[in-house]
Amino acid sequence: MSTHTANPFTEGFSLEFSGPLAGYWFAILRVLTGWWFFHAGVTKIIEDGFNYTYGPVFLKGMSGTVLGPFATFLGTDLAWLIKPGVPLFETLIGLGLIFGVLTRLAAFGGVFFMTLFWVGNADFAHGLVSSDMLGLLLMMTMVVFATGRYFGLDAIIERTDFVERHPRLRYLLG
Amino acid sequence: MRHTYNGIDRLALAISGTLMLLGIVVLGFLEVLDGAPFGAAPLTNDAGDVVATPLIDPNVRTGLVVAGLLILLLWGLYRMYLPTGAAEETPREATASH
Repeated sequence: MSTHTANPFTEGFSLEFSGPLAGYWFAILRVLTGWWFFHAGVTKIIEDGFNYTYGPVFLKGMSGTVLGPFATFLGTDLAWLIKPGVPLFETLIGLGLIFGVLTRLAAFGGVFFMTLFWVGNADFAHGLVSSDMLGLLLMMTMVVFATGRYFGLDAIIERTDFVERHPRLRYLLG
Repeated sequence: MRHTYNGIDRLALAISGTLMLLGIVVLGFLEVLDGAPFGAAPLTNDAGDVVATPLIDPNVRTGLVVAGLLILLLWGLYRMYLPTGAAEETPREATASH
């Protein structure tokens, strides 16, 4: 009887570790994360329309943080974009993740949002790993594992002739 | 799923991972060793006065993590704009049969 002693981490990862369960769980994770963002965005639209005035206020309040100059630039010079952009993009990111369309692009948008929330909320009383940080890690997970390929429409879109002719699009899909 | 990463890829991933782990885990461990506050925010009393401050400025730690994320982003863009032949090494690896 032989014993398999090879270290699987030396030769890259394989989702075969978990078999079909991995795809199932990535899909669940993607849809729930998408719902989280969709809910945040669509409720802002219902309450304030495309005029989320707290967005620029939040960004300007980040002046003392490591992202201060960038955030205050967004909150002042690009306030005209932030007010409609926050609810709109949160909603679109959510829809993208729920349906698995342009998943990596949507999740990258989520990373952008969550980085600002993580640094801006500065809720570090219990350490740097806050709930915002975990949200950021979730979004990174969507990008790294291309979770739209699991029960998502990207699995179909990536097989189209258009994507076959432009394979770099898979960096935004998947 | 198997990728072929060259020296640049490995360097980018190593630096990015190091920065993120340094900002969160290593400096977090030093923060704990240094005593209260164990988190990365100042400790206040009931009156709201600051009674202890973190050993390491949270801006330094968040800055390290953000830098790590930025390197990952730049690396992703670099991979995206590699010549087509090389870019195709990132295929629909696990597309699934699920």
